[in-house]
Amino acid sequence: MLYRQRLLDLPHGELQTPVLFPVRNLGKRSSDNTPEYISSIPDLPTAMINVRAIRERDPMWDRLTNGVSLREEMEVPDDTIVYADSGGYDFSEKDPDTTPQETLETQRLLEADIFGTVDIPLSRENRSAENQRRIDRSIDLALEASTHHDGDELLLASVHGYDPETIRNGIRYLERRGEFDGYALGSLVPVRTDYEKVTKLVLAARTATDKHLHVYGLGGLVYQPLLLYLGVDSFDSSAFIRSAGNRNYLLPGFGGEELWNIDDLEYLPCPCPVCGSRTLDDIREDRDALVVHNLWALTTELRRFRYVASAGRDIEDYLDLRFQGNEVTQRAYRIAKQQVRRLT
Amino acid sequence: MSEAFDISDQAQDYNRFGLDGNPFPYSPVPAENPETYCGQEHATTTISSTVSKTLSTGKSKHLVITGKYGNGKSHTLKYTRSLLRDRDDIIVGYVAQPGEGFVDIYHEFMYDLGFAEVQNIAYEFLASVARDVTETNPVSGSAMRSLIDEGDVLLSEIVPEAIKRLSDITRFADFARAIIHMVYEDTNLYAWQWLTAEGIRYEQRKEMEIHTALDDDTMGVRAFTAFKNMLLELGYTAVFVFIDEFESIARLSSKDEQATLNSIRHLMDQNSEGLCLLFGCAPEVWQDVMSEYHAFSERIGQEVALRPLTNEHLYELVEEYLNRERATEESGIHPFTADGLDMILQRSQGNIRQVLSVCSRLLDAAAQAQRSEITAEFIEESI
Ligand SMILES: [Zn+2]
Repeated sequence: MLYRQRLLDLPHGELQTPVLFPVRNLGKRSSDNTPEYISSIPDLPTAMINVRAIRERDPMWDRLTNGVSLREEMEVPDDTIVYADSGGYDFSEKDPDTTPQETLETQRLLEADIFGTVDIPLSRENRSAENQRRIDRSIDLALEASTHHDGDELLLASVHGYDPETIRNGIRYLERRGEFDGYALGSLVPVRTDYEKVTKLVLAARTATDKHLHVYGLGGLVYQPLLLYLGVDSFDSSAFIRSAGNRNYLLPGFGGEELWNIDDLEYLPCPCPVCGSRTLDDIREDRDALVVHNLWALTTELRRFRYVASAGRDIEDYLDLRFQGNEVTQRAYRIAKQQVRRLT
Repeated sequence: MSEAFDISDQAQDYNRFGLDGNPFPYSPVPAENPETYCGQEHATTTISSTVSKTLSTGKSKHLVITGKYGNGKSHTLKYTRSLLRDRDDIIVGYVAQPGEGFVDIYHEFMYDLGFAEVQNIAYEFLASVARDVTETNPVSGSAMRSLIDEGDVLLSEIVPEAIKRLSDITRFADFARAIIHMVYEDTNLYAWQWLTAEGIRYEQRKEMEIHTALDDDTMGVRAFTAFKNMLLELGYTAVFVFIDEFESIARLSSKDEQATLNSIRHLMDQNSEGLCLLFGCAPEVWQDVMSEYHAFSERIGQEVALRPLTNEHLYELVEEYLNRERATEESGIHPFTADGLDMILQRSQGNIRQVLSVCSRLLDAAAQAQRSEITAEFIEESI
């Protein structure tokens, strides 16, 4: 059993893991248009932001450098736990236009609690020589960040690779040469439909280190239980926003459902504060309501898993049940189970 | 005879012969790593000289060992292999028979080396790169492996360089990628299947960025040559390929036979250094090859014929086997008597394989019968 719970002591408070970091689109548009969720979902005092996007957004950047705090800008309480990702995805076509030192300074200015190192993601389409170069470069950038970092914030080194050796080797190499509080696995989004590969990569990382392990980009409904089962400590997701944009209604056990397809229903099957008292028509028209519901769906998934573990029920039985409805995810879970059992 | 096969847990009592056990192999199949070799001095001299030439000069040299069935071709090849295996600067592969063409010989050769050995060679190659481009100094494949496992060396730093160098050395980029993929657990089985010419699906090849299929004689020669050149680059002195039962090419169609011989000829032409081919072949088939395929036979420097055992060799052979289990200072052929061995020689027509299995059975029979000597008379009764 790899599922684990820990308590992180961070500059803005304690955080119970495993936990989800909802991706905020701060900086991508004029401002963050993610609806208020931080105080309404008590166990989700978390947000993931993209350092590079914020820095690129002049008006906001001006405010932030002129004394407005990030949390004020986001209109969230002071004890919000912020994970500042370097924004590597924006570098996929070229080398990063920032240095580890500059990124660290920005992360510190934003008063983030968790820092992700600057990285260059891989692409499945790249020739392997090019991917090898990117892996190598991300490792160098992480080591550089380690040299410059000396605060209380967690520094998570970004690690990339499409095979278990590369992941294991990268983490151990960083472990030997730098000082990190944990590791964050990137570049999984392009291979997310290859569950077997993703499972192996996550397990390679989980077995290479006992430190905090974050997985970038796979915190949606399908992957969440898998990642929890594999002992991942944190993950992030933008699925709740993207889905809402497509009027996609996330429901644990069912995945996403386009609300346009449903019409003869008055109430939706979710007891969350959004759906519990509002009609389908009402929610369908309200993007923000959908966003919040979708976050509740992701939170519910996490709560259920915690409940099963805490009640001492058999997690594998729960997951057998949980995945039985969908052939693809069922197979993914079976693969994960085989691999986990081989380990324990 | 039936008594000899009365199997029980109880150890036979060989004390009466001054022996701790029965030294003769029960099985008529040559041992994988024979320890004893007897007779055939002319053959050992020729083999030694061929092998030593390759080892000392690095130049390729090839030899055919002819001999009738049972005269010890396989034994000779395997014995030579067991002697060579102790050296760590060479690679030896044994091919039990040539199959349908060169690609089968190549396949058998790689299989005889085995997955672990080839994987280790891949790590050795990475080690040679790591010594150049990193501060580490791995001296072996296993040292390299643990440097990677422990994170002392970054795979992504050495792999692109390794593929580049190996492509330069072998002029076969696909081969280079397959070798390097031997170190990745996700792909090493596919890499192995490709390297052994077993064939893999297009998607699996694509995953390793391998563009060609290794599935015919031409590609087999190319891959073998690439492999050998890589080994020479790593500091190995030579690669030895022992091809047994070469006479079985005679059952191929004449087109396939010619194609196989041509491929071997190409292999020899493309590897003037660091290659030693030893063939075991029935004399009549070798005669045909000699007369029909000059281009092939003229490239093989020498032929040596194994002869049936002589009386003298038989005594020597039996003594050597007995000495392995001697509990006493005694030597010689006891418990066999001279007339007993003469009869064994006569019955086996000097065929070493038969001699050994007969001796084994007779020794058990004598122990069972509580005899202290194995005489012609006893043999007459027992066989
Ligand atoms: Zn809801």
